[in-house]
Amino acid sequence: MVTGTSRKIVVTMKRNHAVLLVLVVALVLMVWAGITNYRHRKAEEARMHEMQAMLVPAAPASNAQATDEDERSPLEGKPAPAFVLEDLNGKKVSLASYKGKAVMVNFMATWCAPCKVETPWLIQLRQQYAPQGFEILGISTDDLDKDDKKKNAEDKAEIAKYAVNMHIDYPVLIDGDSISKQYGGVDALPTSFFVDRTGKIVAATVGLHDRDELEADIKKALAGQGA
Amino acid sequence: MRRILVAGLLTASSCMFAQKLAWQSNAQPKTTQQVQFLLPEQVTVPARRPSTIEMHFRVNNGLHINSHTPQEKSLIPTQLMVEEPAGLKIEAVDFPPGTDYSPAFSPSDKLSVYTGEFVLRAHVVAQAGEHLLQGTLRYQACDANSCYPPKKAPVAVNVVGK
Repeated sequence: MVTGTSRKIVVTMKRNHAVLLVLVVALVLMVWAGITNYRHRKAEEARMHEMQAMLVPAAPASNAQATDEDERSPLEGKPAPAFVLEDLNGKKVSLASYKGKAVMVNFMATWCAPCKVETPWLIQLRQQYAPQGFEILGISTDDLDKDDKKKNAEDKAEIAKYAVNMHIDYPVLIDGDSISKQYGGVDALPTSFFVDRTGKIVAATVGLHDRDELEADIKKALAGQGA
Repeated sequence: MRRILVAGLLTASSCMFAQKLAWQSNAQPKTTQQVQFLLPEQVTVPARRPSTIEMHFRVNNGLHINSHTPQEKSLIPTQLMVEEPAGLKIEAVDFPPGTDYSPAFSPSDKLSVYTGEFVLRAHVVAQAGEHLLQGTLRYQACDANSCYPPKKAPVAVNVVGK
């Protein structure tokens, strides 16, 4: 026979057991989540490393006749062609206004898959080197309808949406096609020019290059050692 | 003539050759086509009866173009734009399904692309006589490391209705 007092004790003990069980389960779940998260991060790091390793080197290995001279842009060592383009807010932005800074002029497009791969690297590199005076100017070469205002606004909105989705925090300028000729006829994307603090182009890359290579070119631009 | 946007999308495919810089002497000029219309130059079909014309295209080696139905909205589909001449009615154009392609630079992504040779099938009804079917294939190509601006490849077929 169970008295009122002993029933209370039994209920309390059951409640204590339940609380203890919940705590144990929560602890196990936290440990499991921590391990899973750690493994996921490690796997992601390995995947990113593998992706970089798969990229071909800047120098075309299959072309034995190619020389260093062939691979260098004729613009290297020369002043970067001046330009004024609108940003996504309609504000005019000139390259000249960045004199004194090292600038990466990065031609890209919303439909360019390799551009999407390098964008997170660019965001990281900008954050890393901005304190030393480094900036990136994303130059969108997406078509803009110049005859139809409504369509033009839609085109700009698509670029803006892309910039937001990709978390781009550096200026994105539009109508890049209008300056591509000055930069040697930009055809393949991404194409980047690295401009030193004096406004001179010190390096250029065409196509997706690995992060280390981009970082080396940024350092070159920051050092201001013109080619 | 009625201008028709028939359809389509081209995708880019992978090239395993090394990256060429735009300014290098043997780099392709901006006007070079990455997709060619191969054939037919001329085709004979029964007059006033539904017929199918197979249009063959080839994507340059090492490149891919988006299919007519790419996986992502931001990618530019392959489309065929044709002038419909008097006496030739184009009912529809069928695009082949794309093949799955994962770029080396982003192995987890799957693109729907055309590589090598691919065939579009135009369903037509021709009146008796000769009709010049003209148009352009709009496509956007990529290789292993780069993407190229959208281009238009000319297409011309002399359709003879008998």
